[in-house]
Amino acid sequence: MKRLNGYDVDRVGYLMVLPYIVFFLLFNAYPIIFSFILVFHKWNIISPMKFLGLENFRFLLQDPLFWKSIRNTLVFLVIHIPLQLIVALVIANILNQKIAARGFFRASFFLPVVISGVVITILWQQFYSYETGLFNTILMKIGLDKIPWLISTKLAMPSIAVMATWKNVGLYIVLFLAGLQSIPSSLYEAADVDGATGVQKFFHITIPMLNPTIIMVLIISTLGGFSLFIEPYVMTGGGPINSTLSCVLYIYKQAFYFNHMGYAATLGFAVAFIIMIVVIIQRKLFETEVYE
Amino acid sequence: MSRFPIFCLVIFFLNISLQAKSEVIKITYWPSSNPQEIELAANIVDKWNKIHPDIQVVMQPLPSGQSSEEVLLTAVAAKTTPDVCSNIWPGIVEEFAEANAIIALNKFNDFYDIVNPRIPEDVLMNFASNDGHYYQMPWKGNPIMMEYNVRLFREAGIVEPPSTYKKFMEAADKLTRDTDGDGLVDQWAGVINVNPVWWHRFFDFYAMYIAASGGRTLFKEGEVDFDNEYAVGVFRFLQKGFKKGYFPKGMLQGNQFLLENIAIQFAGPWDIGFLKIHAPPDFEYDYAPLPVPEGTEEPILTYSDPKNIVIFSTTKHPEEAWEFVKFLISKENDLKLLEFTSQIPFRKDLDTDPVYEEYFKENPMVLKFAKQIPYTRGSDNITQLKEVFDVIAQSFEYSVIYGMQEPKIAIEEAAETCRRILRR
Repeated sequence: MKRLNGYDVDRVGYLMVLPYIVFFLLFNAYPIIFSFILVFHKWNIISPMKFLGLENFRFLLQDPLFWKSIRNTLVFLVIHIPLQLIVALVIANILNQKIAARGFFRASFFLPVVISGVVITILWQQFYSYETGLFNTILMKIGLDKIPWLISTKLAMPSIAVMATWKNVGLYIVLFLAGLQSIPSSLYEAADVDGATGVQKFFHITIPMLNPTIIMVLIISTLGGFSLFIEPYVMTGGGPINSTLSCVLYIYKQAFYFNHMGYAATLGFAVAFIIMIVVIIQRKLFETEVYE
Repeated sequence: MSRFPIFCLVIFFLNISLQAKSEVIKITYWPSSNPQEIELAANIVDKWNKIHPDIQVVMQPLPSGQSSEEVLLTAVAAKTTPDVCSNIWPGIVEEFAEANAIIALNKFNDFYDIVNPRIPEDVLMNFASNDGHYYQMPWKGNPIMMEYNVRLFREAGIVEPPSTYKKFMEAADKLTRDTDGDGLVDQWAGVINVNPVWWHRFFDFYAMYIAASGGRTLFKEGEVDFDNEYAVGVFRFLQKGFKKGYFPKGMLQGNQFLLENIAIQFAGPWDIGFLKIHAPPDFEYDYAPLPVPEGTEEPILTYSDPKNIVIFSTTKHPEEAWEFVKFLISKENDLKLLEFTSQIPFRKDLDTDPVYEEYFKENPMVLKFAKQIPYTRGSDNITQLKEVFDVIAQSFEYSVIYGMQEPKIAIEEAAETCRRILRR
């Protein structure tokens, strides 16, 4: 038994981690185990659970709305992630230069990140409004036709992706700024000596050196994208015609609209599995480039 | 030593007094949490407590949440339900009954003596559960009617509110206008909520379906029964309204009826109280039955948007709770319900009973709803009702709002999906 200043080191160590262990057991382990049990049951919260075996999985495989919600979420990710990466990278590069009011701009871009998602969503819902929204009013003032931003099945999800980019880009700008500032200036000085142009420096020094940050941003925004909920819930309710029904919104509807707790838990595990696959693919694709 | 008997006496009387106090029965009562109903509940409870010192009711507005149903469901799961709740949507009753969370009220000896003279027979039958019991006391309804702006009608040359689909379309054509001449429509005939949330469909599709079909609901003897000409007719009528631009496709901010940008909306009597407070003095509005297909026989029925009373099985005092329920629905408290909330009690001869005569003289708008109340239907008592309405909401959006599916096919597909849900 190790002792330090008369204390039993092991016991003190265990005591130190006890709060986290209790927290983990109560709020992580228990819900996960309970959800896993639910996967095999039918339960509406107020009646006793009924064992279904693998019935929930069978239903999931034949559920067109589940697959639609996966497809919608992937559409969101395909638009949102590249857009967010490019915008964040470009703005971070600009803010990394010695420009006037740099502190003000850095704070301004970060502001939407700390504002409530619901507030921003309601604000953008008004911007996008077909009849009276700001965007369509501007379009009409300059003689163009109104655009059905949120009421077209083709445009609703891209519109949400643009809004989500505006809301989250500040966070990624900060991450890229930190990455940019950690690139040694000697690399740029050497490139200058060799006569490299700004574009060449960006693609041959900045981008490769930022690769770890890019991977982190990719993974964080993929996870964030899969948990898309507030925006479609507030803006469109999943419509029009389920075109903005995200995985999480569908899980929420099954659990809290219809009280299908067992099926909602099954959906949750299925989505977690899909996220795991996507993240593994991302890491395989991009990590090789970093370390090779 | 001489003080000991006095001490014993004090303890004895204290004990008696404490015992007497503990014999007072406490009933917890959750009314709806809107200000008018809290005021009404406080008034009723105050009176009850004065006349029943041995049964004291503690009123606590329904805790706030996304919806009353979610709050009640959580309370049932946590066994923290009150003794009595008066904000029960019938669509959730069957689920509660199956979970033994509520008491069958018809097991009280005087149940039928109370309900038969009070409630119209076909309205009462609508609230019977599948096992034949009555778990809810029908209390009040908000019949959905056509609310219209009298001034806009007059300016458009419309003499009387449109009673049929054809007349509605003719009126809608006159009412939908570009008033400022900028080439864009800024006044619409009507408004339909385009959000595909299931419960919105109670106030347009379902109310109009009841009206068109002469009082049918979505199910018959537990089987899906809405794939018929009436449902298709409602879809077709509303689809045409959207196609012609009589209803705006987007969400408009603010109360567009109050702003006079919308001439017609489907609403319940709750709007009377709202307009009393917010409308300017010269704002002219009125109510009429919902439009129906040509040839529909009168009287025109509608959805009642009912809210009923239940006693939860967690109660330790069912008899006392039942006494309080009877007090809640007494004649004088029904008058208070009208006065405080403008909502309509499910009561026979409401429009002819002298108790309410003066009130209706002063509030002729509410009288229109009172006359409608015997001609209303609630919803079906099935546990999957929310899912069924969600399916209808999706079809409604696809076919009616965006016009992407022929109404007959949309209704048939929705009915088939609902059958699958019921079989699950």
